[in-house]
Order: sequence, then C-alpha cells, then structure tokens
Amino acid sequence: MATVNYVAASRVYAKDAPPAVDALNLDINDGEFMVLVGPSGSGKTTALRMLAGLEPLDGGRVEIEGRDVTWVPPKDRDIAMVFQNYALYPQKTVADNMGFALKMQGVHKEERLRRVREAARLLDLDDKLLDRKPRQLSGGQRQRVAMGRAIVREPKVFLMDEPLSNLDAKLRVQTRAQIAELQRRLGITTVYVTHDQVEAMTMGNRVAVLSQGQLQQCATPRELYDNPVNQFVAGFIGSPAMNLQTVPLTDGGVQVGGSTLPLPPAIRRAAADTGLKELVLGIRPEHMHLANGSGDLTGDVMLVEELGADALLHVRLAGESSQVVARAEGRKPPAPGQQVTFHVEPEDVFAFHPATGARLAG
Amino acid sequence: MTAPAATAAPVLGTTKPARRPRLRELSSQVGWGVLAWVVGLAFFLPVLWMVLTAFKPESAAETWPPQFTFTPTLAEFRLVFSGWGPYVTHSVVATVVSTLLVLLLGIPAAYALSVRPIKRWRDGLFFFISTKMLPIVAAIGPLYVIALKTHLLDSIWVLIILYTAMNLPLAVWMIRSFMLEVPGELLEAARLDGAGQIREISSVILPVISPGLVSTGLICVIFAWNELFLALNLTVTNAATLPMFLISSVPQEGLYIAHLSAAATVASIPVILVGWIAQRSLVRGLSMGAIK
Amino acid sequence: MAVLETGAASAPQVGIQPRAASRRDRWLRRLPLLPALIYVIVVTQIPFLVTLWYSFQNYFWNQPGGATFAGFSNYTTVFTSSAFRGALLRSVIMTAAAVIIAMILGVAFAVLLDRKFLGRGVVRTLIITPFLVMPAAAALVWAGPMLDPNFGLVNYLLQPFGVHHVAWLSTFPLISVIAVMIWQWTPFMTLIVLAGLQGQPPETLEAAKVDGAGALATFRELTLPHLRPYIELGILLGSIYLVNVFDQVRLMTNGGPGTATTNLPFYLYQQVNFAFDVGGAAAAGVVTVILTIIVATFALRMFARVFQFEGADA
Repeated sequence: MATVNYVAASRVYAKDAPPAVDALNLDINDGEFMVLVGPSGSGKTTALRMLAGLEPLDGGRVEIEGRDVTWVPPKDRDIAMVFQNYALYPQKTVADNMGFALKMQGVHKEERLRRVREAARLLDLDDKLLDRKPRQLSGGQRQRVAMGRAIVREPKVFLMDEPLSNLDAKLRVQTRAQIAELQRRLGITTVYVTHDQVEAMTMGNRVAVLSQGQLQQCATPRELYDNPVNQFVAGFIGSPAMNLQTVPLTDGGVQVGGSTLPLPPAIRRAAADTGLKELVLGIRPEHMHLANGSGDLTGDVMLVEELGADALLHVRLAGESSQVVARAEGRKPPAPGQQVTFHVEPEDVFAFHPATGARLAG
Repeated sequence: MTAPAATAAPVLGTTKPARRPRLRELSSQVGWGVLAWVVGLAFFLPVLWMVLTAFKPESAAETWPPQFTFTPTLAEFRLVFSGWGPYVTHSVVATVVSTLLVLLLGIPAAYALSVRPIKRWRDGLFFFISTKMLPIVAAIGPLYVIALKTHLLDSIWVLIILYTAMNLPLAVWMIRSFMLEVPGELLEAARLDGAGQIREISSVILPVISPGLVSTGLICVIFAWNELFLALNLTVTNAATLPMFLISSVPQEGLYIAHLSAAATVASIPVILVGWIAQRSLVRGLSMGAIK
Repeated sequence: MAVLETGAASAPQVGIQPRAASRRDRWLRRLPLLPALIYVIVVTQIPFLVTLWYSFQNYFWNQPGGATFAGFSNYTTVFTSSAFRGALLRSVIMTAAAVIIAMILGVAFAVLLDRKFLGRGVVRTLIITPFLVMPAAAALVWAGPMLDPNFGLVNYLLQPFGVHHVAWLSTFPLISVIAVMIWQWTPFMTLIVLAGLQGQPPETLEAAKVDGAGALATFRELTLPHLRPYIELGILLGSIYLVNVFDQVRLMTNGGPGTATTNLPFYLYQQVNFAFDVGGAAAAGVVTVILTIIVATFALRMFARVFQFEGADA
C-alpha cells in the first residue's frame, strides 16, 4: 500500500519569510495519480522535492506507506523522479542512464539490461537508441528516457516535476495521454507537478490546487470545476477562466450589466448573514447563454475569437468598465460592435466573499 | 460538501525554520570546513613564512629552531627599497609597455578571429598557440647574437619586444573568447545604425568586453613581471628587472635570509595583489579562454 | 468545383553557386590580424631560423674567427651527448611527475572548495597564492628559509617524524625542485578542475541522489567523466608551461648537484652561457624544438578536441 501523506509539512527559506509550503495536509491513496497544480511560487515543486528528500522539512512530516520518511535520504525512500529538464547523465548511454539506479542497487548486468529493454519497449523507445548519448536524442526522446529511468526502478512512488513543459505543444498533448495510460497500467502511486491546469484536469485522479504555499482544494477534476471552494480555485481551473467581478448587492440580487441579476436565496442569505454590501460574482463563459433581447445582462461585443467549433466573445457589459468572456456557437457568432444580451441560470452563479475569497453558500 | 474555505492570506511567521540537521550532518559540514582551512593554511605556509622572515633581523632569521616570535624590524625592507630603484623601474616599464602593446595588437587580431572572422581563423588560432609551445630557451643563443648586433642588448626594448611576443598568443585567445560573448544582436543593431568596422570595435565591442580586457591585461602583467630567463640572459645592468634584483640579494657570503625574504616579498606583492583581484578571470586567462 | 492550381514547383536552377566573398572584403577581414601575426612571426620565427643556420656552423665565442660551415657535426654531437640525453630524460621526469601530482592535488583541492563552508573565498585565495608568487622568489625562499638543513622550516616541522637536518637540495635535489614546481602549479590545476565542478548541472546530481548513488559513487560515475575534458586541458596546458621551467632549477640547485636537476632549458642555458659553443647550443636547440613540435602536434590535436568541449554536455 504505497500511500503518501503530508502531515502539516512546512518549508521556510528564511526567518520571518512567508513559508514556501505552509502546513500542508494531503493524503494520497495507493495507485492514485495526484496532480499538484498552481501558479509559480505556489509551493508545488517544493512540496514534491520534500517528498523526494531533496528539500528538508522545517515542520511536520512526510510519510510513505505509513512510515515517517522525513529524515530518510532519497535513495532509501524507494521513489523515482522525473525532473523538469530530465537531468540525464550526459556522459552515459541511454541504457546506462536507465540502468544507473539498478547498478547502484547492485543488480547484475543481464538483469539490468532486461529491465531496461522492457521499460524501453513500454515507452516506445527504439532499441537502437539504447547505445546513444543524451545529446544525440530529440527532446521527446530524452523525455521518454527520463521516464524510463524512473520506471525501471519499479518504485513505490513516482514523482514528476513538470515533465512536459519542455516539449512543443503537439508533443505535449500526445505524451500527456501516454503518461496517463502508462500510470494506469503500472498502477504506481504518482505525484505530478504542473502549472498547466489543462494537464491537471486531464491526467489526475485528484488534483490539489496550491497557492502561496497553501492547499486551496483537493478533489477530483469534476468536483474542482463544479464546486470550487474559493475564488482562487474557481478562477484557476477552467479555460477560458471564469468571469469574476466585484458587484454591489441590491434587492433580490446584484447590480451588474445595467440590470439586476437575480441570486439564489441561499447566496442572498449567506451574504446577509455576513453583513456584506458587495460580493465577487463568478460566471463561467459557457454559462452565459445568448438570449435574443430577453436576457439578464446586456453588453457590446468588443472582440470575437473564432476557435472553429466555438467562438469566444469579449463583451463589455453595460455600465461596467471591465470585459467578460462568453462562449457562443461557432457558426454564426455576433459581430464586433453588436449589442447582445445574455441569460444566466441561477444555479450556475458562483459568489465569493470579497475579502477572503471563500465561496458563499457552496 | 467541500472542504472549508482556505484563508486567502498566508500567516507570516507561524512556521519558524526549525532546522533539525542531525548531529552527523552538522559535524560533517564543520569537519569539511576545518579540513579545507587546514589544507589552505598548510599550502599558504611558505608564503606566510616568507613574509614573516622579511620582518626579522638577520640574527633572528637563521636560527635553530626557527623563530616564530621576535622583535619585528623594517630594516631589511628599507634596504630593499634603497636598492631596488632601477630594477623596479625596468620591471614596471617592461611590463606596462609590453602589456599595452599586447592589447594594441591583440584586440584587432582577436576581432579578425571571432566577430568578423577570416576564412582560416582556426589556422590563425593554432599558429598563435603553437608559438607558445615552442621553447624560447632553444633560441636564446641566436637571440643574444641578434640583440647584440642590433644594439638592443641590455636595453629595456629587447625585453619589451620579447614580452609582447610572449604574451600576444595568450591575449589573442583570451580576448577572442570575450568577443565571442558579445551578443550578435548588438553587433547587428550597430551595423544597421551604420557603424563601420572601426566604430563597431570602439563603440560596441570594447565597452562590452572592457572587464575582459582588464583581466587579459592583468594576466599579461603577471607573466611579464615574473619573467626571469630572458631578463637573465639578455640584460646586465641597464635593463635588469626585479627577478634579477632578487638574485643579487643572495650574496656569496654572510647572512642574507631576512634580506632575501624582504626582497622576495616586495617583488611578489604586486602580482599577488593583481592575482587576488583578478581571481575570477585567472582560469580563463590560464586556459587561453577555453574555460569561462 | 474550382480546380486547384497546383502550380508544379519550378525545377531548381542549376548553376547558382554561393556568392564568393569579394577580394577586397577578404583582405579587409585579414587586415586587423596582420599586425599581430607579422609581429609574432618576426619575433619568434626569425630567431629560430637563425638558430637553424647556426646549428650548421662551427662558431665559438672564445675563439677568433667567425662561423665556419660544419655540416651535421653539431647534430651528431648532440645525439651522442649523454649530457643532452640526460637533460631530456630529466625534463620528462620532472614534467610528468609535477603535472601528475599537481593534477591529483588539484582535483582534491577543487573537491574541497566546491562545497560551501565558512570562509570558502579566503581559503580559495590562500590556495591560489603560490601560483602568484614570483617563481624566482619562490625558488629562493624554498632554497633558503624553507629547505636549508640548518635553519629551514621544513626540517623543523618534520622533526616529530624523525627527520633530522636533512640537506634537501644536496640529498634530494630532484624531489625538492619537483616539489616546488608542484607547489606553484597545483593552484592552476585546482582552478581548472573547480571550474569544471562548478559547471556540473545540479539537477543531474540530484537525480543521482534519487537513483541511490552515494557520494563516492556519484563522484566516480558522474563527476569524473564530466571532469575529463577539464583534466585533459589542465594536463596539456600544465605540461606546456612546466616543460619550460627554468627559474627553480637555476636558483635552487643550479642544475646540480652535478647534473642531477639539469633539464632541457637549463642545459641549453649552460651551453649558451658557459660552453661558448653557439653552434652546438643551436643544434641542441633545434633538436629540442623538433621534439617539442612532435609532442605539440599530438597536444594540439587533443587541444582541438578539448576546445570543442563547450556545449558537449547535453
């Protein structure tokens, strides 16, 4: 049971500085693909390195398989890591790169070669490449060698630090699927770090969203999307991003886009209980439906981005200075300059506390 | 339904960097530092001894056991300073003039081997380094004869000429390595702005590589200042340099150790200071620009 | 449906060559190089041509009359001279011993300096200082205050080890001279190897940690292969400088006792200054140059390979 637990794990770089990782509590199940996602500086890479043993803890502990490994050196943790820049050994051949850890463990040459060949087959790495040096390989091939080096170990946990970020877009999409499928096949607990929320949503069993060293929410991609727990998660997950705007409260709803948008009673009650005069309104672009003149929100189309299947409308709502994005049908989108109205279902509306960002009436 | 809302702002100072390096880690770190210091001091010891002995009166310099405590005196230094006049002048002139000549000749040469390279720049580079490999000692006889016939024997110019030739290959390689670091876009922008070759060098390249030129100059100074063989063979009194002064401080008879140490210290201090200052670029200079 | 105009790609025009640089352009490029090139050629090649000429002459300083043609007799003398062969052998021994030991120490010191500790910059400065000391000064200081049998520091420090008033320069002349060469050139090796160590990508070292390599294994499997071009460069350049070492030989032992420490540079110096045999010295010089060229050709080829190493690490 290769579970992983972060128990109030913390890392601070300087006295009185904000912690890079602030009392992280995270439980990862055996065989789970857990993605740590967040903007740069969120602490996700630091958290991964703490698990690897490359970064010491200043508080709390880390457990693998229920065993406290906080002070255990990396080589005794039975983990394997794929680095962002692959960190392949430049003077060694591909085969030696992949077999290095086994060599350190004292595994015999024939056994090493067998396992290396097996991993190479799994990753679609041609046998011919085994005798080449890293500098003779393409970016995609190097990435697979880095993965192969980790797979050969058959460790308890896989750690991956943004392994796709150095690949071009097309290769990234391809490799993304391959990694996810590989992990399912091997069933090894994986902790995967990325700043790309699309990667997070498509690959993870569960996704942990971090910001400024703190865990915001850990849930399945669907759950994160449908029920973000605060403004940060709501704005971070989903592309294009959710429209967020601070709006004043009025009778029965909020004042926005030149009219009153009705709010569900639950939200109104939560706002009243907290004595709020305004809140942050959140509506996803796909929840803004074009209505022919009979909508809640009115505005002028400033820009139309045609994506083929859809079109993204950048609309300036009446009376507002900022723009919102709405998703529309690709075939015959409104033209720039045109006035449009939108209808929004009440249950699609999110509301957040203007100061803390917490979701109101989630 | 979902986890309780996370607070928006991180709380400062709640987690102190509670470093718990285990005893073994800490002691290994300290042990390493101690070992390094011991090695460094042991290696430096002869220099320390030289400087120490320079402050001794002769009577305290040749004793058994060697003295570590004594009444320091500046007598030997005063002797050195009273005697070194012509020697240090010759050293300074030979060093400075040859270094300036090296830079004057070396900068255009490096330019022709890097920024706007000639077709056979590799051959050019290897020619320069090959002259460094040939032992100057082999030609000392004919050099003497040539110097004699051209009336340059025992003149400061024979040293200047030879030191320039000695340092030029090193300088060309080194300056070239600095020029290669000038961003290509900078040069293209200058060319678009209408800069010709000379303007390109003076206004764009030289300012950018000026720290590199300084370190090249310092390396040349080190080698010219310390040079003994040519000075010994080709000069007597009119152009004798500091290394010759050192040799003369070893008399046939009598006590001389403290005096020698003082002379050695004084002679070495300039280059030691130069080397300490140019430490970072020492590697680049010594490896002819191969290592940055 | 409109027919798409495929527009077959026109066949490539045969006969277009890359435009050759104009004559004027080529000479403009060469111009900046010429002053330095001509200067070096004149100052270094002319003496050698003169040396070559003299090597075929009988010319003695202390005898009346000038130079007379001697054919290859000078060369025969050189090749049959045991003094020359002895000097050659000693040059090889001194250079090899100094380079190898200095490099071993250099690697050790570089490893020491690569880790952070209190006062690292100071220790580094201490270690490079011997290189900066004027070689003449170093030679005289070692000959006197350090190695003197009666008041030298070395004898004093070695007393606890049962060493008593050893006359280093007369009993162990070669070792003494080599020791000073090592003392002065280890910093050079240290700096080169240190540059190599600091150029190692830290991620690779972390990967090795995760892969289970301890400190020794990491050094053996990763660091040493990485350092190889640096070590080669250090040995190559060190050899070039050390084979020409003169100051220490002249000032510590004057080539002696006897010829115990006479290397090629010192031998040539003696020939010129004390044998008055310009022809003989010239021939010895030419032979030295030829030997150096042979070795240098191998060295240059290695230098060309090593010089490409920037960017060789993936």
